[in-house]
Amino acid sequence: MINVLLFAQLKDELGKEALSIEGNGMSVAQLKGKMKIEFQLEGLETVMTAVNEEFADDETILSDGDTVAFIPPVSGG
Amino acid sequence: MNERYSRQTLFSPIGEGGQVKIQQKHVLLLGAGALGSANAEALTRAGVGKLTIVDRDYVETSNLQRQQLYTEQDVEEKLPKAEAAKRHLHAINHEVEVKAVIMDATAQTLEPLLGHVDLIMDATDNFETRMIINDLSQKLQIPWIYGACVGSVGMTMTILPGQTPCLHCLLKTIPIQGMTCDTGGIISPAVTMVVAHQIAEALKILVEDWESVRPSLVTFDLWRNQYQTVRLTKVKKKDCLSCGDQRTYPFLTLENATKTAVLCGRDTVQVRPPKPLKLQLEKLAKDLNGSGYSVKVNPFLLSCEKNGERMVVFQDGRALVHGTKNMVHAKAMYQSILG
Repeated sequence: MINVLLFAQLKDELGKEALSIEGNGMSVAQLKGKMKIEFQLEGLETVMTAVNEEFADDETILSDGDTVAFIPPVSGG
Repeated sequence: MNERYSRQTLFSPIGEGGQVKIQQKHVLLLGAGALGSANAEALTRAGVGKLTIVDRDYVETSNLQRQQLYTEQDVEEKLPKAEAAKRHLHAINHEVEVKAVIMDATAQTLEPLLGHVDLIMDATDNFETRMIINDLSQKLQIPWIYGACVGSVGMTMTILPGQTPCLHCLLKTIPIQGMTCDTGGIISPAVTMVVAHQIAEALKILVEDWESVRPSLVTFDLWRNQYQTVRLTKVKKKDCLSCGDQRTYPFLTLENATKTAVLCGRDTVQVRPPKPLKLQLEKLAKDLNGSGYSVKVNPFLLSCEKNGERMVVFQDGRALVHGTKNMVHAKAMYQSILG
């Protein structure tokens, strides 16, 4: 299982900030696609992704026990 | 040593030697809104040698809740933010040389200001400008500190050319404007939390304590009680067009510049002429008075209103059209007045 953490407005969209999801061997992009279909999460294409607190790109392959954080980029100021 | 900085020099990582360095440095601060005014105040109190503040906006009532330098008097006078900031900063610490630059920051307008700059502080409200800062930082080898906030959320990261990844390594494309101050609002602690991180990084850079510079991206949400640092050790890309081996600085080209933009946190569109103008505002005010507009004018800008629509024109021909997010409509209104 992959541990998924959702930051900022993504937490509100899902109603909770953490969940576990099947994803061993998936890429980050594939996990985003699965999250989009299962939870109707919008805007995942442009979020930043951290795997085990390390910045990761869409091609990174995930393993059981990984913690994936989805972090929307912030623009205001 | 100067009594003014005694508590700062007692802090051993700065010390008297660090204070001397701080006072020799020139920081360019891009943006004088919420992040900008708090950053400006902290840098001025810390005694930075020279501070250049670039901003395109003027002070409005809706700024006062979080933009800590400004007062009701500034709103009354419709002062440009850079100028208002300069006046308040001079009262705080007259030893700091503050330069106010009232303009829209583009690749072309910004580069000439970066000649002897040691650090660029990001206090802008959009990724287009940040990508321009990012390219200029790489081209001119000047560190910069990304900072942003919206709602109760903030994010910051330090970019050292030649060492750390750059913003373009992290964001392959400019993100679609998901959440802005327009849709998400903003509370003041999100501002101060970002600025606390930015200023700590700035002090490290100004005293040249490079080893202490934070190597990770920080993000937090003060309302949802989240705080996360993200390491960046695998992000730097050899083929990055901004910092890689075959760099082209794509965000410095004119094709990447917009001529209209919706402003964060405001029901407002900015319209910018292809080249800066030198408008005779008094003359324009007379013309507009004659055609049914109610007009206010000062040496910096002209504000006119008609049928509930309001536009502010700066001397360089740039305009802010209020009460709309429609860029086409804003441009039309602009052209109906300035041709």
